[in-house]
Amino acid sequence: MTDRRAFLRGASVLMGSAALGQVMTAFAATPRKASHFTEHEMRTLSTLVDLILPATDSPAASAADTHYFIDLAIPACARPQAQQTFRAGLKSLAGIERRKPEEQVAALKARAAKDIKLEYDVSFFKILKDYTMTGYFLSEIGATQALAYEKIPGGFQGDLPLKPDQKAWAI
Amino acid sequence: MAASNTFDAIVVGSGMSGGWAAKELCEKGLKTLVLERGRNVRHIEDYTTALKDPWELPHNNRPTNADRKQQPIQSTLYLYDQSTKQFLVDDTKYAYEQAQPFNWYRGYQVGGRSLLWARHVFRFSDLDFEANLKEGVGIDWPIRYADISPWYDHVEKFIGASGENPGLPQLPRQILQPPFEMTALEKHIKREFEKEFTDRRLICSSIAVLSREHNGRGPCQGRNQCARGCPYTAYFSSNGVTLPAAQKTGNLTLQPDNIVHSLIYDDAKQRVTGVRVIDANTFVSTEYYAKVVFLCASALNSTTILLNSRSARFPDGLGNDSGELGQNLMDHHNGGGATASYSGYLDRYYKGRRSTSMYIPRFRNVTTREEKFKRGYGYEVYSGRGNWTRGVDSAEFGADFKNEITRPGEWSIYIEGYGETLPYHDNRIWLSHDKLDRWGMPKQNISMTYRDNERAMAQQMADDAAEMLEAAKLENVKSFNHPVVPGSVIHEMGTARMGRDPKTSVLNGNNQVHAVPNLFVTDGSFMVSSPTQNPSLTYMALTARAADFAVEKLKRGEL
Repeated sequence: MTDRRAFLRGASVLMGSAALGQVMTAFAATPRKASHFTEHEMRTLSTLVDLILPATDSPAASAADTHYFIDLAIPACARPQAQQTFRAGLKSLAGIERRKPEEQVAALKARAAKDIKLEYDVSFFKILKDYTMTGYFLSEIGATQALAYEKIPGGFQGDLPLKPDQKAWAI
Repeated sequence: MAASNTFDAIVVGSGMSGGWAAKELCEKGLKTLVLERGRNVRHIEDYTTALKDPWELPHNNRPTNADRKQQPIQSTLYLYDQSTKQFLVDDTKYAYEQAQPFNWYRGYQVGGRSLLWARHVFRFSDLDFEANLKEGVGIDWPIRYADISPWYDHVEKFIGASGENPGLPQLPRQILQPPFEMTALEKHIKREFEKEFTDRRLICSSIAVLSREHNGRGPCQGRNQCARGCPYTAYFSSNGVTLPAAQKTGNLTLQPDNIVHSLIYDDAKQRVTGVRVIDANTFVSTEYYAKVVFLCASALNSTTILLNSRSARFPDGLGNDSGELGQNLMDHHNGGGATASYSGYLDRYYKGRRSTSMYIPRFRNVTTREEKFKRGYGYEVYSGRGNWTRGVDSAEFGADFKNEITRPGEWSIYIEGYGETLPYHDNRIWLSHDKLDRWGMPKQNISMTYRDNERAMAQQMADDAAEMLEAAKLENVKSFNHPVVPGSVIHEMGTARMGRDPKTSVLNGNNQVHAVPNLFVTDGSFMVSSPTQNPSLTYMALTARAADFAVEKLKRGEL
């Protein structure tokens, strides 16, 4: 039972179930279209998520459609007060996408310094960062390229040497 | 019609205890009807989220506002997310009255909470079975370790569990597969404890998760997504293990969506003759008959069925001659513990997601007597290196930030005590017979509070936790002692306790209702005290023992 075939047998039963066909409907549509935020807001949001998680040795947040994740998740998951805070925050940073990179960083730094002291529901930066990180690091690109992800690790090895430049596990 | 509604045995509930009752009774040749109030959940086929990647789940697995509205209580559970919410009840349909705050986490489906449990399986010892008698608390357990020991063997051989036998009298020796491996930090703590303490140990928990193949099941694939249902059957659930065994005999009839309203009592025979059932979908009422009935509907629901079974002989609920039915509700408490970090072992990591904890066995009130409180606690221990979530709360962002948090962070550790709660008579459940739900079941009222003994213990739990992590030379040690809402540990127990005397207990030492010999109750409601160890293994063992007793009595015509 420990061979790969057996694992796949466990998997194939699920693949055969009806539920798997339902996944990735809203999220996989291309070209992407926002359902909650306006085009202007999405441009601002796209800039903000990339300021938080820019391209490094792995793609930037926008390349993983993190702003589209936020477009769906904020109205569905955030408490009403947080939703208001978020929309007001986007408005106050509107146009940031047209500024020079160093000005963008300075603007978000100033906002972070102010917002970090506030309670979550009234802190635009805290909400933005929370949803950006969940959206990116649990996306396929974030989990498998920025981090290390194994769907079925095959067991547990508790004490291994860390390899040079090894990425952290996504989950 | 009557013939098709007649069985040898009826089992109410299909979770941890019901699955075992079904297996044992079917294997002993009884035509057995299992009634489950919730929907069917077929093993593997209905684990619809089991193999989904985070990005395949709605909102990357975050609960929505709509979820929280539908499941305001269930959504506060630690394991609640998009991948598990289907195994927890809709709170808007199954309301109960909290006379005192009580979090009641429920899984109304075939398999019940055996799909969701945290899988720790330690044995009780005579330290536990003798405690009430020695201290004059509540009533004495009618059994001792010798009575249950062969049944622990029986259950462990079948379910398959892994872990470490520490050789301590308070944790009797078990039949275990090799444990899951410790991390570098856990090995460090184990070594430091050996230097610093004579009475404290770090061990691998006994856990109903297979580290090796067992009867064609498992082993664990290190996914740590147990609560979605395991496609490898690597952890024990009714759906994957006991119900299939019962099915194999050809003696099982499993009926989901069947809510048991009450038991049918025959005054002349002084026996139960069957159960009244409401179809959850059509609301049609049906009666089923059997020679013997096992109640395994979970502590509060088995007691509810008994309280709702009123007759001239039993005006206050079936089997309630003692007045103890519904009383003596217990849960564990887990508010005390500590966290710490460690800046060493930065060259060590791990692979896979271990679905188990490490454990510090009980050391209070074992060989010495504490002044401040009775009984004791063990700790569950969780460790790991920081992942991306460590960056969520900071003001930092940008390329350097991203590079830093995508590499493993420092080691950190979280330890949480699980303490015994004394049986208080007025912690209880009772029914409002004038307030009926859509199925005609009376509203359940629950009142439970922790008292001085639990508060004193919780403080010591926090203090000891910090002391131990300091002794292990960890850094940034912080203890915590947060209030716990009863029910939150999901070990609700008692309300139909066992005992030697029919005047003070509902069940005898064979889980038999004192005055109704063909009625058995084998879920957590039978508990007389709430030993530190997680209780499910004991429910399984006493269910198997009661089934054996019942079948022997049936054969001899004594039921």
